[in-house]
Amino acid sequence: MTGSQQARWPGPAGGAGADPELALLVSRIARGDQRAYEQFYDRTAGAVLGLVLSVLRDLAQSEEVMQEVLLEAWRTASRYDPARGSALSWLMMLAHRRAVDRVRSEQRAAEREQRAASAQVDYDDVTEAVESALDRERVRRCLDSLTELQRESVTLAYYGGYSYSEVARLLGVPPGTVKTRMRDGLIRIRDCLGAE
Amino acid sequence: MMARLRGRGQDRAELHLLAGAYALNAVSGPDQARFERHLAGCEQCRLEVRGFAETAARLGASQAVQPRPGLRDQALRAAGQTRQLPPGPGLRPGRARRGAATARARRRRPGRGPWPRLVAAGVAAAVLAVAAVAGVTALRDEHRISLDQASGHELAAVLSAPDVVMLTSKMIGGGKVTVLMSHHMRALVFAVAGLPPLPAAKGYELWLIGPSGSRPQGMLPAGQAKPMMVAGLADGDQVGVTVEPRDGSAQPTTRPLLLMPLSL
Repeated sequence: MTGSQQARWPGPAGGAGADPELALLVSRIARGDQRAYEQFYDRTAGAVLGLVLSVLRDLAQSEEVMQEVLLEAWRTASRYDPARGSALSWLMMLAHRRAVDRVRSEQRAAEREQRAASAQVDYDDVTEAVESALDRERVRRCLDSLTELQRESVTLAYYGGYSYSEVARLLGVPPGTVKTRMRDGLIRIRDCLGAE
Repeated sequence: MMARLRGRGQDRAELHLLAGAYALNAVSGPDQARFERHLAGCEQCRLEVRGFAETAARLGASQAVQPRPGLRDQALRAAGQTRQLPPGPGLRPGRARRGAATARARRRRPGRGPWPRLVAAGVAAAVLAVAAVAGVTALRDEHRISLDQASGHELAAVLSAPDVVMLTSKMIGGGKVTVLMSHHMRALVFAVAGLPPLPAAKGYELWLIGPSGSRPQGMLPAGQAKPMMVAGLADGDQVGVTVEPRDGSAQPTTRPLLLMPLSL
């Protein structure tokens, strides 16, 4: 296992995910500032939709969840605490939880597992956000630098919305192995993104 | 697997490994509850989860797609019709009370918020640190109150910025100034203690003084050491304080009692 105890913690400032202006927008939103919310929407809606879509794989449902997530951000902006992480990670956390809630409530686990190996989102209906092209490429390169098991563990959990024990079943490896691969994988991605 | 987790030392080590899965939102059931209990007493785990969550967010953001234009109006309209939660328990360390609305977002996993109460104490501590360095610990309670207000929220964003630096200076005629600044956020928190009182018709005005002129930042609250938030710092800015008529001036009219370079 790599980098267990002494690993460096980049914290919210680590990498392009940290966007202090976004945090200030959230604090303005917390005071009911609709202009700030507009800007916040323009900067984050695409990322929210993209993440939710990767989990739900259905555009109409994903749009619905995206709207719920952004409204949740509006509603709970005053509860965002910058000490606990960047505004982006707060928002993406909300988005991921919502998406996973939705997928776990609407689909039987078995049905999902069947689809997991094959299904790819039909991206014909959506356009990749131009601004994220660079980030997309970087992330792809960093994911490519992982071992296959690390990569699958991380992407099935995050993009697929599976719990680590589900991932273990899908990959046919012990849960303990998946757990450590997720952690090692994240450490490598973090370092890789930080190095770029 | 649960049986394997019984031993104490092993238990901790095993739990620690869950940080990655937890940040990926991939821990559920009894593991989740156990890990969260573990988190409460393991600062390193909290830091690790926090770092991983930032990495996960970038994985997510890299998937960005263009939403249909029509959704924007819908979203803005919906916000216009939706009441916001007041600043609340999230910023108060040691409070378990939660609003009903937040509870809804947690229905799948009771006891786990969008952000577990991991580092809540951090912000309060940072604000108290400002109070302490400014020599105004007596005003602690006031600062704690300001945390629960929206302005405290913005202020907390600066205080907890990872690149925050502290600058101190003395004002001509008295007053010890402490500035906590985040270059990254182009913002700072200004606190001053021991200001000599002024006649009622006068007040201390705070400025950003840069190559392109002076921008008023508001009057320092009379007789209080309440920190002030200043955003929108530009290259070459200095922080200045002048004595002005009580309601303030558009441009400084007296010699600055403080002129503090920010090395921006």
